[in-house]
Amino acid sequence: MEGTRTAAVRGITRQRLTVLLLLTPALVVVLLLFTGGLALGIIQSFGYLPAAGLTTFTLDAYRKIFAMPGFVRSAAFTLFVSVCTTMLSVVFGIGTAFALRGRTGRAATFVYQIPLTVPHLVVAVAVMMLVSQSGLTSRVLFQLGLIGEPADFPALLYDPYGVGIILVYVWKQIPFIGLITLSVLQSVGENYEGLSRTLGASRWQTVRHVLIPLLLPAIVPGSIIIFAFVFGSFEVPLLLGKSYPSMLSVLAYRLYIDVDLTMRPEAMATSVLIALFVLALTVLYRFAADLLQRRRL
Amino acid sequence: MTRAAIVLIVVAVTGPALPLVVWSVSHGWWFPSVLPDGFSLRAWNYVFQSDAGVFTALFTSLGIAVAVTLITMLLGVPAGRALGMHSFPGRRAAEFLLLAPIIVPGLAVFMGVHIFFIRIGLVDTALGVIIAQLLPCLPYMTVIMSGVFANYEREAEQQARCLGARSFQVFLHITLPAIMPGIVTGGLFVFLVSWSQYVLTLLVGGGRVITLPLLLFSFAQSGDHAIAAALSLVFVLPAIVVLVVTSRYISGTSPALGGMGRI
Amino acid sequence: MTRVTLEKITKRYASSGVHAVKDLSLTIEPGTLLCLLGPSGCGKTTTLKILAGLTEPDAGKVFFDSENVTSVKPERRGAVMVFQNHLLFPFMNVAENVGFGLRMRGEAPAKVQTKVREMLRLLQLDGMDKRKPSELSGGQRQRVSLARALVVRPRVLLLDEPLSNLDQHLRDEMRDLILRMKERLEVTTLFVTHDQQEAAVLSDRIALMFGGVIRQTGESRDFYERPAGLDVAAFFGNRNVVSGVKRGRKVETVLGTLSVSNLPDVPDGPVSVVVRPEAIEFGKTGENTFNVEVKRSVYMGTHIRHQVYFYDNEWDIVAPSGSAQPSAGEHIAIRLPPEKIWLIAQ
Repeated sequence: MEGTRTAAVRGITRQRLTVLLLLTPALVVVLLLFTGGLALGIIQSFGYLPAAGLTTFTLDAYRKIFAMPGFVRSAAFTLFVSVCTTMLSVVFGIGTAFALRGRTGRAATFVYQIPLTVPHLVVAVAVMMLVSQSGLTSRVLFQLGLIGEPADFPALLYDPYGVGIILVYVWKQIPFIGLITLSVLQSVGENYEGLSRTLGASRWQTVRHVLIPLLLPAIVPGSIIIFAFVFGSFEVPLLLGKSYPSMLSVLAYRLYIDVDLTMRPEAMATSVLIALFVLALTVLYRFAADLLQRRRL
Repeated sequence: MTRAAIVLIVVAVTGPALPLVVWSVSHGWWFPSVLPDGFSLRAWNYVFQSDAGVFTALFTSLGIAVAVTLITMLLGVPAGRALGMHSFPGRRAAEFLLLAPIIVPGLAVFMGVHIFFIRIGLVDTALGVIIAQLLPCLPYMTVIMSGVFANYEREAEQQARCLGARSFQVFLHITLPAIMPGIVTGGLFVFLVSWSQYVLTLLVGGGRVITLPLLLFSFAQSGDHAIAAALSLVFVLPAIVVLVVTSRYISGTSPALGGMGRI
Repeated sequence: MTRVTLEKITKRYASSGVHAVKDLSLTIEPGTLLCLLGPSGCGKTTTLKILAGLTEPDAGKVFFDSENVTSVKPERRGAVMVFQNHLLFPFMNVAENVGFGLRMRGEAPAKVQTKVREMLRLLQLDGMDKRKPSELSGGQRQRVSLARALVVRPRVLLLDEPLSNLDQHLRDEMRDLILRMKERLEVTTLFVTHDQQEAAVLSDRIALMFGGVIRQTGESRDFYERPAGLDVAAFFGNRNVVSGVKRGRKVETVLGTLSVSNLPDVPDGPVSVVVRPEAIEFGKTGENTFNVEVKRSVYMGTHIRHQVYFYDNEWDIVAPSGSAQPSAGEHIAIRLPPEKIWLIAQ
């Protein structure tokens, strides 16, 4: 009896040791960069900057940024762009997936997946060339006699609604949601659909009452990922967005590289808030995923 | 109706390539012309000129991306195995920590540790950029590998052990071949993330480490559409190659998406 | 009660062009249970889907009574399918699952509730209405799946191997349940399976399918005692075959001349002689007797299976345990009763 127990304990310790060995290298990197970065960011946001001679902890930075109209506007703008992108990506992602299923030959799937790998900057450049006021779309409209000069074309870049930015991210994210949708539809969707139809539900009723609820557990996590990603995005808004109000990451960066080092705590406070907001979303996501997991079979 | 939708999808996906291609060979293309006034290879000549810095940027991007990919493989495969195959106290916490950087924006986190990088002299160096890029890249590799290992059958290894194989042999002949598709998918994924990485390179590189996206950005802002277009096409090439490779040799993006679902 | 008729149904697989179903014609009498039996890939599920309206046939017609329903949409046909994998909606509880069809057809919520409750009681699922599918056992899930199909009072009930995923004792339970439901509700039912025992127990009639074509229809007995071909005999566990030439009431074989009394309409000439393992008798004298060597005897509990050998043929003999049995290595005489010999024209 005693022998087997020690053996069992040794077995578990051995396993725990293995796990530790496997995890440590990656964990070290993450701890240093991620938690280290966050921690240092938080400390600096509290005004602790020995390099600039600031050594007292204070909440001044946070007070200052909330008082900045720029910050509040940036936050609102960022939220707006993130929400719009997420909703449009989900709607069109699901819609295109429904259009494509059954016809997913190699060619169709391949084309559909292209946006996933194209770098954001390239998409931004292409969008710039297409929808700027002197861009291709505007020129075509001119040729069709619908507008008279560049200024007649609506400003979709550097505009208060971030249309150009939204366009870039929606183009990239539609296949992301679409592929998730397709994978569900093609695995269990078909049988559920047949079942639902024979029970008396029309095509549309089936989509609404059976397929969409079936898709949700997969789509919701995807949407949160999209939202978080767009929320923290940098280079696309930097290229295609107005300078005021800019998206939050751009604002943070500007504050950071400001020559005036006393702006540093505000820069840190902004980025800390971005990180914490997204972290809160991640926790929410985990919570939602666990909840939805329990409803699945 | 669905046929129209499919046509629309194809147009929407491949359409944006058109202005890029045309701009890259244009010579004077002003509003309201729908076609360039003239064609020229000026932009492409510029790109292929050895002292224009494009090749340097290209190789810098490539070198950094390859280094990042290799390092994430070394770190991410074991981490993925731990998360995917073992259950242990603190697993949820470890999982959360290792995967959080996928969602949390890199800039927001990295600004804090930047000062540390300055302190130990890693700024303005390629090494610094490589280390910085581990932040967004390592979680992707870990997620994908943990998905691979979750579906992995341990029995094969145990069988090999029964037959007398030593740990190292088991790894080489049993484990590695089985997880290779996952490693390749993860590697290609990480390569793309590093290749497209902008803000971290900007921050840590300090303008000294010039990668392709940084070069592209400055040309895009400068208003020289022709060169920006040509550079974009060069920049997008590996992405298309990756897509072709994955869709031909690996069954779709399912391992990657499977990994994504585990976050 | 609906009569179901399939008229020359043909369907090709889209990808390969191979026939899934070819010129298939079948009638199911009102209120009866027909079993579509066959090995995997023989086209049974395709036939089911065509009946349900989930696939359109390339050619042929489907009739419910005298109504041509070939182009009628599934939601209007009244043919309900129950799948092998119960496919309960994971995001609905039991009551919502069962009431789904009724709700989609627009019935009043109060009526839906009553009907659902009644059906749950009928299938011994009382008190489970608020449970989620994940909280049910395998057998319970299958019963909910059945309840969901029956509550809408379908004209035709289509069961696609619904027992294959269940353990043995659950299978017996479900079989009884299906039989009871069938009697009670008198629904015309088509049941698909690859297990001939299941077919034998449940069905009024069986249609055996090989390669997209119906090979033989009839009652269970007909397949055992009067198989239409050697493939049918083999499918039902009989490989006792020997070739011969028929002349009148006699058949010339390598065993000698056999007398046959149960004469099918087989013309004189080359035939295959088929005898069931259970029909062969031991150690008798008289006509149709010959000697064999017992190669192997296996004790199967209720019976013993002998493998005997003669003239390059290997046959099975099955005898109930308890009676006197030969053992391996013995040479014995066996008799083929003339009324138990079945002939198939070659």
